Amino acid sequence: MAEKNDIILEVKDLHVSFKSYAGYVRAVRGVNFTLHKGETIAIVGESGSGKSVSVKTIMGILSKNAVIDSGEVLYDGMDLTKVDEKVFHTLRGKRIGLIFQDPLSALNPIMKIGKQITEVLILEQKMNKEDAKKKAIELMRAVGIPQPEVRFDQYPFQFSGGMRQRIVIAIALASDPEILICDEPTTALDVTVQSRILELINKIKEERNLSVIFITHDLGVVANMADRVYVMYAGKVVEFGESEEIFFEPAHPYTWALLSSMPDLETKDEKLMAIPGTPPNMVYPPKGDAFAARNQYAMQIDFEEEPPFFKISDTHYAATWLLHPDAPETPMPEQLSQRIKRMKEEG
Amino acid sequence: MTRYIIERIIAMFITLFIIVTIAFCVVRMMPGSVYDNPELPQSVIDALEAKAHLNEPLLVQYGYFLKGVILEGDWGTSVKIEPSVPAFDVLVKRIPVTLEINIYSLLISLPLGIIFGTIAALRKNKLADHLISVMVVICISVPSFVFASLLQYVLAFKLELFPIVYESTAVGVQRFASMALPIMALAFGPIATVTRYLRGELVETVNSEFMTLAKTKGLNQVQATVRHAFRNSCLPLTNVIIPMFTNVLGGSLVIERIFSIPGVGGIMINSINANDHPLTIAVLIFYSLVSLLTILIVDLSYGIIDPRIRLEAK
Repeated sequence: MAEKNDIILEVKDLHVSFKSYAGYVRAVRGVNFTLHKGETIAIVGESGSGKSVSVKTIMGILSKNAVIDSGEVLYDGMDLTKVDEKVFHTLRGKRIGLIFQDPLSALNPIMKIGKQITEVLILEQKMNKEDAKKKAIELMRAVGIPQPEVRFDQYPFQFSGGMRQRIVIAIALASDPEILICDEPTTALDVTVQSRILELINKIKEERNLSVIFITHDLGVVANMADRVYVMYAGKVVEFGESEEIFFEPAHPYTWALLSSMPDLETKDEKLMAIPGTPPNMVYPPKGDAFAARNQYAMQIDFEEEPPFFKISDTHYAATWLLHPDAPETPMPEQLSQRIKRMKEEG
Repeated sequence: MTRYIIERIIAMFITLFIIVTIAFCVVRMMPGSVYDNPELPQSVIDALEAKAHLNEPLLVQYGYFLKGVILEGDWGTSVKIEPSVPAFDVLVKRIPVTLEINIYSLLISLPLGIIFGTIAALRKNKLADHLISVMVVICISVPSFVFASLLQYVLAFKLELFPIVYESTAVGVQRFASMALPIMALAFGPIATVTRYLRGELVETVNSEFMTLAKTKGLNQVQATVRHAFRNSCLPLTNVIIPMFTNVLGGSLVIERIFSIPGVGGIMINSINANDHPLTIAVLIFYSLVSLLTILIVDLSYGIIDPRIRLEAK
C-alpha cells in the first residue's frame, strides 16, 4: 500500500543523547524510519530503547538536557532537528498531534475539560467562543464521550482513565493534524478499555486519513494497528518490515525474544519465555550488537562488530549476523515457530 | 459545604473558649497585682480590688469576666497603659496605622515575590535563578530588625533621604516618606517567602505532563506557561498569602519599636510588663481570633478555588 513518493515524514540516522552526571546517555543511536501518507507504523521495544525519545524529537519537546548529536527529521521540506521554536509552534498540534502515555496526568487538573479543548482553537485559530465550543462538543462526540454538552463543563477528576484518554485524543485532533503520534496510549489503562481506545484510534485514522506513529512495548497491540513495524533495541532499529513479516517471519533474535515473551491463549502448559538480563547501560553502549549479551544465539562476531541490515524481502530488513551467508543456519525457537503456525492457522 | 462551614465555625469558638480560659488563668496567676501603686494606702487598693472582683476566687472572677465579654461586649478596662479606657478601644485605636503600613508592604512584596519567583523558576539553574536564590536566603535568614536598623542608618541617617522615625502628624508626601522605611523593612520577608514558594511550585508544574500537552496541542511557550503552569502554581500559594493578609493585624513588635510607630505591635509586651491584666487578656483574645479566622479562611478558600475540593464537597 505504501509507495515511495508519498513519504510524509522521514527520520534519518538520528542520534540523541542526554547529559547526566554519569556522562552522556546515548538514548538514540542512529534511528531510521519513514512514515507514508495514510499508514500506521509501530515502533516496538522495551523500556529505555529510545522509542519515546525519537518521537519527542519529532515534536520538539525533548527535555533541556537532551542533545541531538546528528541526523535529520524530514517533514514538509524542513529538517525538524534544526528549526527553531517559532517554526515548531506552527507544526505542533496543527500538523503533528501527540497522544500521551498517561491520561491521568496529561490534563490540567484545575481547568474545565471544555476549556482545555477550545483553548487552542480560540487562541491559535482565532475562532470565537461559540464556534469553538461547537467544535469541541463535536470532537468529544467523535471520540465517544457520552453527553458531551454536560461533560464540557466538568473537570478531569470527574472522568475515568479511559474517558480522559479520549479527551486527550480529542485535544490532539482539535487542530486537525495530519500526523498523529501515539506514545503508548494504552499503557496506563485497563485491558478492557485498551481495546476500545485502539479501536477509536483506528476509526479516527480512517475517517481523517491520518498517518499514525504508534509507540508501544506491547506486540499484541501492534498486530491490529500497524501496517509496518520497527523493532527497537538500545537506541537502534534492529528489525523492520510489514506487520505480517514481523509476526510470521521474524529474523532478529530480539524480535524472537519479544514474541516469545508475549502470552497468548494457548500458553497454558508452556513456560512463558522471559528475556534474560537487562538492557545495556547506555552511558557506555556496548561494542558490536547491543543485544549480544542477552542473546543465546550470539556468535563471536556479535561482540566485536555491529551487524548491518540484511535484506530479507523488499520491505523486511534485520540487523543480525545470523543472516550473514557465512552464519550457521539458526532456526527460531521451537516454541515460537509453533505459535506462529497456530496464529497463521487462525488467520 | 454549608454544614462543613458551620461545623468549622463551631469548632473555632470552642478553640477560642479554651484559649481564653487558659489565657485568663495564666495571666491571673502571674505574680504582682494590677493595683500595686506604693503611693496608694492599702485600704484604697483593697477597695479597688473588691470593685474589680479581685478578692473573689479565680473561678468567680472568670465568671464575671465571661459575663462581661459575652453579654455586654466588655473586654475589661485598661488600668495602666491608658487608665480607664476600655481595653478593646485601646486595641482598635492602634490598628489603623499598623494596618496601613502592613498593607502597603504587602502590595509591594506580593508582585515582587511573584515576579522573582517566576523568573527563578523559568531560568532554573541559570545565573538569574542563582542570584535570586542568594537574595531569598539572605532575606529569610537575616532578621527584619537588622534590615530595619540598616535602612534607618544608611537611608535615613547617612543619606537623609527619609525621616528617621514615623511621623504620625505629617500629611501627604511627608507622611508617606516617613512610612517608607518600615514598609521596606517589612517587605523583605514576604518577598522572599513568596519567591521561594512560587519557584518551587512553578518548577514542578512547568515539568508536568499537562504542560507538555499544552505545548503539543499548539500553544506557545508563553501561553502554556501563563494559562497552565502559572495558574496551577498560584493555587497552593494562597496557603501562604492569605495568612500574610490576616497577620498584618498583628503588627510587628520590632519594626514598630525601631521606627516609633504607635501600632498594635508593642501593646502586648507593654501590658504584660505594666501588669495591665485586662488589656493583656483582651490582646490575647484578639490575636487568637485573628489566627483562628485566618485558618478558617485558608481552609474554606481552598474549597472555593480548587474545583477538585469544591465539587467533591457537594
